[in-house]
Parts: sequence; structure tokens; C-alpha cells
Amino acid sequence: MELLEYAIVGGILYGIFFSLIGIGLNLIFGVMRIINLAHGQFIVLGGYLAFVLARDLHWNPLWALPLSIVAAAIIGWPLYYAVVPRLQASGDPEMLSFILFFGLGQAVEALTVLGFGTDQRSLPSDAMGSGNIGVLGQEFPDSWWVAAAVSLAAIGLLWLYFSRTKLGYATRAVMSNRDEALATGIDVHRVSALAFVAGLALAAIAGVFVPYLLGSVSPDLGGELTTTSFAIVIIGSLGNPLGTIIGGLVFGLGTMLMQTYYSSWSNVVPYALLLVIVLLRPQGLLAKAARNA
Amino acid sequence: MPELTPAATASPLRRARPAILVLAVLLAAFALLPHVYGNLSLLFTLMAFITLAQGLNLLYGFTGYLPFGYVGFFGCGAYAASLLVLHTGWPMLVCVGIGGVAAVAMALILGPLLRLSGAYFSIASLAASQILYFVVSNTNLADVTGGPYGLKIERVFSPTGSYYTMLAILLAATALAAWLRLSAFGMGLQAMKQDPVSAAMAGVPVVRMRLLAWLISAAVAGLCGAAYAWNISVFYPDAVFTLQISVFAIVFALFGGVGTVIGPIVGAVILYSLYSAIGISTPQYFQLIYGVLIVLLVLFLPGGVLSLFARRGIRVF
Amino acid sequence: MSSELLRLERVNKRFGGHVVLADVSFAVAPGEILGLVGPNGSGKTTTINVISGLYRADSGRITFDGHPVHHVPMHKLAHLGINRTFQVPKTFRDMTVRQNIEVAAHFGHAGAPVDIDSILRDIDLHKHAGKTAGSLTVNQQKLLDLGRALATGPKLLLVDEIGAGLNPAELGGIADLLRKLSQRGIALIVVEHLMAFLGSITSRVIVLGAGRMLFEGSLDAASHHPEVVAAFFGGEV
Repeated sequence: MELLEYAIVGGILYGIFFSLIGIGLNLIFGVMRIINLAHGQFIVLGGYLAFVLARDLHWNPLWALPLSIVAAAIIGWPLYYAVVPRLQASGDPEMLSFILFFGLGQAVEALTVLGFGTDQRSLPSDAMGSGNIGVLGQEFPDSWWVAAAVSLAAIGLLWLYFSRTKLGYATRAVMSNRDEALATGIDVHRVSALAFVAGLALAAIAGVFVPYLLGSVSPDLGGELTTTSFAIVIIGSLGNPLGTIIGGLVFGLGTMLMQTYYSSWSNVVPYALLLVIVLLRPQGLLAKAARNA
Repeated sequence: MPELTPAATASPLRRARPAILVLAVLLAAFALLPHVYGNLSLLFTLMAFITLAQGLNLLYGFTGYLPFGYVGFFGCGAYAASLLVLHTGWPMLVCVGIGGVAAVAMALILGPLLRLSGAYFSIASLAASQILYFVVSNTNLADVTGGPYGLKIERVFSPTGSYYTMLAILLAATALAAWLRLSAFGMGLQAMKQDPVSAAMAGVPVVRMRLLAWLISAAVAGLCGAAYAWNISVFYPDAVFTLQISVFAIVFALFGGVGTVIGPIVGAVILYSLYSAIGISTPQYFQLIYGVLIVLLVLFLPGGVLSLFARRGIRVF
Repeated sequence: MSSELLRLERVNKRFGGHVVLADVSFAVAPGEILGLVGPNGSGKTTTINVISGLYRADSGRITFDGHPVHHVPMHKLAHLGINRTFQVPKTFRDMTVRQNIEVAAHFGHAGAPVDIDSILRDIDLHKHAGKTAGSLTVNQQKLLDLGRALATGPKLLLVDEIGAGLNPAELGGIADLLRKLSQRGIALIVVEHLMAFLGSITSRVIVLGAGRMLFEGSLDAASHHPEVVAAFFGGEV
């Protein structure tokens, strides 16, 4: 069945990309227990960065990848220190951060509309290769393969960071027990700020590919991307970065299959997945943590 | 956070005085304003948003659960009432009432969501609301729900009827909030919100009360949605399922101050008036304003505007 | 049955692979004070959590007043007459002292109306009735926690390390209060590390070690029991 093969290969590619979409949210939550509800809007910003580079400077949008990291550092570092320590000292950091970042996301979305208008913007389709690459007889645009490759590279780099670098160890310590990490002399705020910037950078990098995998970028995509990211992260398990790959794949395959066979219902996929997982197994497919009643 | 009720030792009538006052002011304001201010539609939508903010407050202010998908109940009520109008000959008020019941039924079905904590609950309720929207607006179901083409119930169109019905719903929602503020039930909810384990050990049936608050909150949204559908009479699915409605309700309630009765009223009146001044023509400016507002609120004034009074020692009802 | 208020029979609890309670069995009579001691991690608080319904036992039976209670939700246990304090006091921080008691009096007590003022006097907080719980000192919060439990009219009160951090005068006051409660007919299980304090209110203790019952008897005999000594001090006796 050609259709099925297309859906599966496409679903895997799509899913790997969506792991990248979700991983920034997961990283930030894992390290500082903050839910960045503006995540989707930061992804959109990445997309617009690529758009500006292509439209105004005529650069290849791939240049947006390193620039996203720079931008994330410039915006993220002060944002972290302005907001996160205060939130963590409050009575209910999880919910308050939820609401604060929700507000931030709304503000960013408004600014995006004011800056670029509400139209959908796309990028030159041959900027990442004008052909298609095929596997198992199914062909997908080059940009999809580039996106999947970049996603895998990013996740691989993250894994290396956690398992091979000193800062990575420190980050894992903070993830498992913040107070103890503090007691052993780790500069928890610096580690967290770094993770925060990394989370935003990962979101922006994913955003660069959004016009290719979703067709176009527009300000209103933000909310949907956040919810989808949430679904992916929860399926994998909140706080476990590797779980995001599982979540991405489940989402990618589910969406592709739905689009192939029951396309009018395909936009229900992330929401239905999220509800099912959250009600059946809220700790995700990987985590062992118990949940509170 | 604003302090709790007037002295518990006062007589019931004396304790209910602030509630009666608030209800009287609301009734007077919205019954009289149409005579001096011609834009009935604006007043109607303002009432709807005060009601929604209050309904959200019933859940969030008293249990700490923030339903991002609150609009789902609003849409439920709108669709249930409208479908009844289209397929039965029942009087409109009955249809509105059943709209509320439909929302409660949906809330019962979604009851398991209450097992989740904080953020999980919020996002899951959002997902549920979106699923409802996609189901209702799906072209395959156009014969049943009108699909993406929406519904038209012009034969019952009645600006005055729907206006006064919404006013009644607004008063009911306010009365419910007052009851929660003054009653032992409400005190139990507050205790649950602060420490569910300790509350359970104090004998509070935590799960059951949380469910009740959820159902009451859903009923308010459902009735509101049904009255809204009656008022506009012709609507597409996203008019009654758009997330913007949830967002506004949350923002208005947070801005005013949750856990009080007048907080959502104040928040909705101020911000919706702002919206109608600048937001309809340039919605992104309004969005920017309330986005920044929320960030500032969480950082500096998490109890909302009314907590400024509570800080001075003034009890806020 | 009439001389036994609470009975645990072979109660087991594990978290993942870690056994926290192993075949714990004992009984408490009405009005009796039973001490529960053991080194850290021996399962004392878990025992309280299981009896009060916060955790569910994996196997075994718990019978209270003739009814099996190992599957009953917490608020129903409160109605039946079991209550507890928390090692780190859990009060309703934004509500006043009086309101904290009122919640329990209203929801937890099916019987006669509760005299809130007398409870406030028992826990020595009647002068602070209007203050918010969050503004109390930690020790006052412990007492408020106890008051909350008392307002539900318990027949069995589980007290979790209430003595920690108290000075001798305060300890004496608590000891008096606990003895008074016992005289009123309330059975107490008192988890403690402070042996002198425990010794002043009861003579019967159970010693737990790594989830197992090591000893049941008098406090004096416990201190000579080789397994008990080993559990507390480790190694050969």
C-alpha cells in the first residue's frame, strides 16, 4: 500500500522534526519546573527570523540557525533573570509560571502581528535543496530531510551535553534535585539560565523549518504549536528530554496516518493524543514518577 | 490575597449585605443603561464576559484549577440550545436552560480531568475544548451540527429577550460566587485549595466538592453560551468555541482578583471597556496590553487589582 | 473487640522495590497511648500514613472500631474517628486560626456541635484566633494542626513527631495536653524520637526497624533489647 508507506516514512520524518519542536519545552520544565507557555510563539519567531533573512537579506534561511542561538541568548538570559528566580520563590511556581508565560506568549504574538501582519509567510522552497529524497520508494522534499537531520543533530548534541560535559552533569543534578545541587555548590541559576536559553534556541531553530514542514508561518500558529509541543512532551514524559523523541514519533506517525486516511480529522490528533495520554498515563510513556490526586 | 468573609459571628442577613448590594448594583446598572446608552450589543457582550469571568472564578478562585478550555462549555451551551431550537418547538428559555444542562453533562464526562494537577489540567481542558470545536465544525457532521457553516436560529431572534436572560444569568452567577464566599461549602473549597490532604483529614470530601465546583462553573458557562447564541442567532462554530473567549475570561478574572465576588466584575468591566475602545479595530494592541498586564500581574500583583485594597487592610467581598 | 479500637494485621507496604512496612501487626485500646519509635526510615510515618488513609496498604488488614478501614478514603476516616497531625504542619495558611478549626468542625464532625473556643483553649491559641495561620510560629502551627484534628472528634489520634524543635517547657505542655486527651478517651499513637518525652506520657511502645516490628513492650525493656539497640546504634551489641 503506497499510501501507508508514505504515511509511515513521512510520519517518521515529521515526527523527528516535532521532537525538536517539543524538546525546548521539555528542557525548560525539566531544569527549572517552569512551563513556558510562550514556547509556540518563540518557534514562530524563529520562523520569522528565517523569513526576514530570506526576504530582506536574500540569505539562505539556514543562516537563521546560528542566528537563532544568538537571539535566544540575547533575549533569554535577561528574561530568565528578570522572571524565573522570582517565580521560584513564590507560593506556586508551576501555575504562576504557566500564567506568566501565557501572558508573555500573548504579548509576543501581538508584537509579531504588529511587526509582520497576520499573513502566512513562506520561504523559498529550494533554499534547502530543490529535489526530493526517496526512501522505500517514497519521496519527500529535501527540506524535510534537512529538518530531520538538524533535529537529530540537536538532540544528539543535547545528549552529549548531558552525558559528557561538566555543565551537563550539573544540569542533570539540578534536574533531579535543585536544593541538593545548590548545596553541593552548583551555581543553579547559571545552569538554569543556560538551559532556558537553550530551550528558547531549540524552539527558534525548530521554527526555521516550520515554513517547510507546515507550509507557512504566521503569528497565530503559536498557540497550536504550544499545545502540540505539550502533547509531545507529555506523551514522552515531562522532564525527560529523550522521551520527547518518542512523543514526536507518536505524534508524527499519528498525524500522517490521519492525514492520509481521514484528513478532515487530522487536526484533532494532537489534542486527542494529549487527552488520552494524560488520562491514562499522565507520567508519559517513560517516566516512573507517581502523580498526585 | 483578599481576606475571607465578613466576621463569621455576624448574623446571616448582615453577612449577606455585601452580596445584596452587589446584586442590586448590577441589576440597576444593566437594567437602566440601555435607556441611556444605545449600544445594546456592547452591553450584552459585557454582561456575557462578566458572567464568564465570574464562572471561571467559581472554579479557579475557589479550587485553584484554571480551565483553559472553559470556552468549551460556552460552546456546548450555545450549540445545545440552538440545536433544540432548530429541531423542537420548545420555548427559548427552556432551550437556554437545557444548554446549561448540556454543559454540565459535558463537565461530568470530562470529570476525570480533575484528577490531574495544575498545569496538566489546564492544558488537558484546552485539548478537550479544541476537540469539541473540531468535532462540531467537521464537514462530515454538517447534517447534525451544521459543520463549518454554523447555525442559524433567526426565528427566535430577540435582542430584548436575550438581554434580560443574560442579565438573569449574570445575577445568578454573582449570587453563586457570593454563596461560595459566605458559606461553609465555600470555606471547605478554600481549605482544599490551600492543602487538599489536610482538608481531607478535616473531613472535607475533596473529590466530590471539586467536582461540584466544576459542574457549577460549567453550568454558568453553558447558560451564558446559550443566551449568547440566542442573542446573535447566526454564528459559525468558532464564534462560540474560540480560545479568545477563554483567554478573555481568564485575563479579566485575574486582573480583577480571583477568590472574591467583585474581582471578576471589576476586571471584566475595566478590560472589556478597554477592548471595545481599542481592541475591535486593532486587536493586536489589546493583546499586547493584556499580555504585558498578565506578566506584570504575576510578578507584582498576583492577587489582582483588588488585592491593592486588601493590602491596606480593607476587606474585599 | 470492645477492648480494641484499632488493629493492624500483617500490614505490608512497598514503594517500587523498596519494602517500607513488613508484616506490621499491633492493636491499640480506647484511651491508650502507644509510642511508635525507630530510627529514621524505619516506617513510622508510613504506618501513620497507612492508618490515616494517605497511603493504601499493599496487603494486610486494618480494623477500626470493628470496621475494616484499609480502603476507606481519608475524609471518611476522619468521620469515623481517625485523625492525625503532620510532621511538617499543614495548616490552611491564608485562613485564620479560628477558620482552620471551623473547617474541621463543620466537615469532620457528624455529631454534636463542636465548642471551637474550648479547642482553641486546649491548644493555647485562643488569643490568636483572628490571626492567619501562615503568620503563626512553627510550634503554634503544630498546635493548630492538632486542633484541626481534635475538632473532628477523633477516637484515635496519630501524632507525628510533635516534639521536634520544642524546648523543655513546651514539651511539658504538650505532654500534659496529650495526657489530657487520653483521659478523655482518645487513643493516641505517638511517633517520637524524644525518649524522655515519650516516657513521660506512655509506657507501651512499638519499635520499628527497616519496616519490621522489632519489639513491643515497655520503653524500659526496649532499651535493653539487643535488636532494638542494634537498630538504633548499628553493628554488634
